[in-house]
Amino acid sequence: MNKRVPVTVLTGFLGSGKTTLLNRILSEQHGKRIAVIENEFGEVAVDHELVIGAQEEIFETANGCICCTVRGDLIRVLNQLRKRRDRFDYVLIETTGLADPGPVAQTFFVDEDLREEFQLDAIVALVDAAHIAGQLASVPTAADQIGFADVLLLNKIDLVSEAQLARTERELRAINGTARIVRSHMAELPLAQVLDLGAFDLDRALAVDAAFLQPQQPFEWAGSYTLAAGQHVVHTGSQPHEHGHDHDHEHHHDHAHDHDHAAGLKEVGVVVLQASEPGMAGIELLVPAAAAAFAQASDRLSSGAKLETGRHQRLQLGAHADFQLQIPAAGNWVLFCEHAPAEFGFSLPRAQLTGEGEYGSHHHESEITSIGIEDARPLNAEKVNEWLSYLLQSRGQDILRMKGVLNFRGEQRRYVFHGVHMIFDGQLERPWGDAARLNRLVFIGRKLDRAELEAGFESCIA
Amino acid sequence: MSVPAIRLERRARVELGDFPVDAAWSADGRALLVAGGEGWLLWIAIADTAAGAQRLGTHAGGALAVAWQNGGQQFASSGQDGEVRLWDARTREARVIHSDSTWSERLAWSANGRLLAVATGRALQVFGSDGVLRTPLPEQSGVIAAIAWRGKSSELASVGNGGAQLHRLEPELLSREYAWQGACLTASWSPDGRVLASGMQDGSVHFWNVAAGTQSQMRGYGAKVALTSWSANSRLLATAADELIIVWDFSGRGPEGSEPLQLGAHTARLTQLSFQPKGSLLAAGGRDHRLTLWRTAQPQQPVDADMYTDEVALLRWSNDGTQLAVADRSGALNLYSLRA
Repeated sequence: MNKRVPVTVLTGFLGSGKTTLLNRILSEQHGKRIAVIENEFGEVAVDHELVIGAQEEIFETANGCICCTVRGDLIRVLNQLRKRRDRFDYVLIETTGLADPGPVAQTFFVDEDLREEFQLDAIVALVDAAHIAGQLASVPTAADQIGFADVLLLNKIDLVSEAQLARTERELRAINGTARIVRSHMAELPLAQVLDLGAFDLDRALAVDAAFLQPQQPFEWAGSYTLAAGQHVVHTGSQPHEHGHDHDHEHHHDHAHDHDHAAGLKEVGVVVLQASEPGMAGIELLVPAAAAAFAQASDRLSSGAKLETGRHQRLQLGAHADFQLQIPAAGNWVLFCEHAPAEFGFSLPRAQLTGEGEYGSHHHESEITSIGIEDARPLNAEKVNEWLSYLLQSRGQDILRMKGVLNFRGEQRRYVFHGVHMIFDGQLERPWGDAARLNRLVFIGRKLDRAELEAGFESCIA
Repeated sequence: MSVPAIRLERRARVELGDFPVDAAWSADGRALLVAGGEGWLLWIAIADTAAGAQRLGTHAGGALAVAWQNGGQQFASSGQDGEVRLWDARTREARVIHSDSTWSERLAWSANGRLLAVATGRALQVFGSDGVLRTPLPEQSGVIAAIAWRGKSSELASVGNGGAQLHRLEPELLSREYAWQGACLTASWSPDGRVLASGMQDGSVHFWNVAAGTQSQMRGYGAKVALTSWSANSRLLATAADELIIVWDFSGRGPEGSEPLQLGAHTARLTQLSFQPKGSLLAAGGRDHRLTLWRTAQPQQPVDADMYTDEVALLRWSNDGTQLAVADRSGALNLYSLRA
């Protein structure tokens, strides 16, 4: 059988830079002959003979099965293209911003003709750093695009501040814990970050970002300060105007959204604790105590009120709200905040910041999240099969992607799997060798329940 | 009852040098037109023992379809250049009758050769044999997957995502919708014009018995049903989704509730399936590089077979059913006659 032609799917909203990236890929000398399937609104400027337009057409089935939903236009166009196979060795598919990536991905698993000739390489989502927050809040498919992606290309980073970039990355990470996030300006980046990634290859190692596997904290940010005893003023409420220099007229309608979103915080939970040492080390030691404090009942503080140490208090925010922080003794004090400082215009004047830590975002707009499980106990292959089958049947509609490497009892090789909705592919791969025999599973989907997934995993322990 | 042995006699071989996308026999069976994946249109003149190929022209980017006027001296071709051309078979000269940014993927001549239907994305057009556009048809809700004229009438069926439409062109245009949730891939009218069958993406075959006003569907295929072909007597419908040929019998009260005939000899998915016009033989080609010839009365094994070096990509019976053109993906084309 001939080698299958790799296919990269580019998703992202209008204005996110898809066309710029496509033009760059097509004009660059990379030795690949790339066929491009454009959506009907696309406009690739390069004179290129293998650019083909397609009108998005979703094929659904009479039984309504979501995993049988495929893109009819892609089947048709790729079936014609495969007759000219010696003309190209790579396919790029550009989708419209509103397209659901599910059917696009499934087409390559469900349709017999395409399955034999083409192989989905990766789904790359272009994200407009300045507008993604507004898009996530207002367009339902935005979170789907983030959730499905293997690579999140955070583009137009020159238009936003570092603080906003960090916040955006946290938000993206909360939706999709496994995608690689790549920052770029004008879609300038090495093509190796976009093409030939083999994200759907079972034999390539599963790269999982360890950060999101950690338990979620009730706070997003902690800062350690050296403070004198007495009263300190905490300023809040001067909203960051990070878009002031964005002159991209095409997107004025999104602008308003962004500000609404940032200004939407009505209150923020805060816990102030004394640290035994300055910097990150001191913060880390306090994390369990802070989490415990956040779990306690809280008082609401209005502007001008006294903010005490040691307990959970909720600052009521406004255009400008100040609070009187009462420090009983000089030393290192850590402020644990429910949201990142940039999100509520936080500042603590005349205080030296000795360290800060960021903890995963937990207040995202999207109901799409990633849940990771990491566990070394060996599993029973049959029970895993039962669990995953049940999961696919009962939750397949909600699960966008899942991947994993599993440690089966008595098996020298690792079991590797991935899935898109109800489509599942898994097999035994390389031997474990000297590597730690560790189960790692990741689920990205809608309304996922960590407790339910963990209980299911627990039932598979051999 | 003894059945005379029938065999395929290979009469000529042509190296197309291109992937065969579509082909059409001339009305008199003395020429074969082949549309190539790289864009060439090839004219293959059939002599008694040899065949010569001549390049007529190209559709830049690749040819898509070719169709010979029934009983006439013209043929139509379309390609990825967005053009539909109407050719005079005697002068072998063409004129462009339609040009669009969207591909015209389906061409079909009416039985009397007076009308040429062209499907371009969601648009369906009917031209006269003079190349002049006739009554414009309403835009379809989805991209048209297949079109077929109903028997000898001037009624045209188009199918796609969401079912079928039937367009009666005379005396005045009348379009009827036959909705069905699912993506239709093929359109095959029983030769008597009673039943429209369509292979579906979801692994079923849908039947509209237009004459009786009923519809039904047959499920249970493991994959999309991309192949459907009726026997000349309108009794049998051959279908395939994988390596097995499934034949439904429409005689009596069938096919609902009946067990279909299963013809199994291929070892990989079928790519071509076609009943002989004016006869009872069934020819099939597959990804296993095999060509098989069947008599449905003898379902145990094919009556003859041939091997290719690549997947069978094209299979066309001549109009009288006495010749068969078969080509594989590498461009090796064989012309067969039937020998009793």
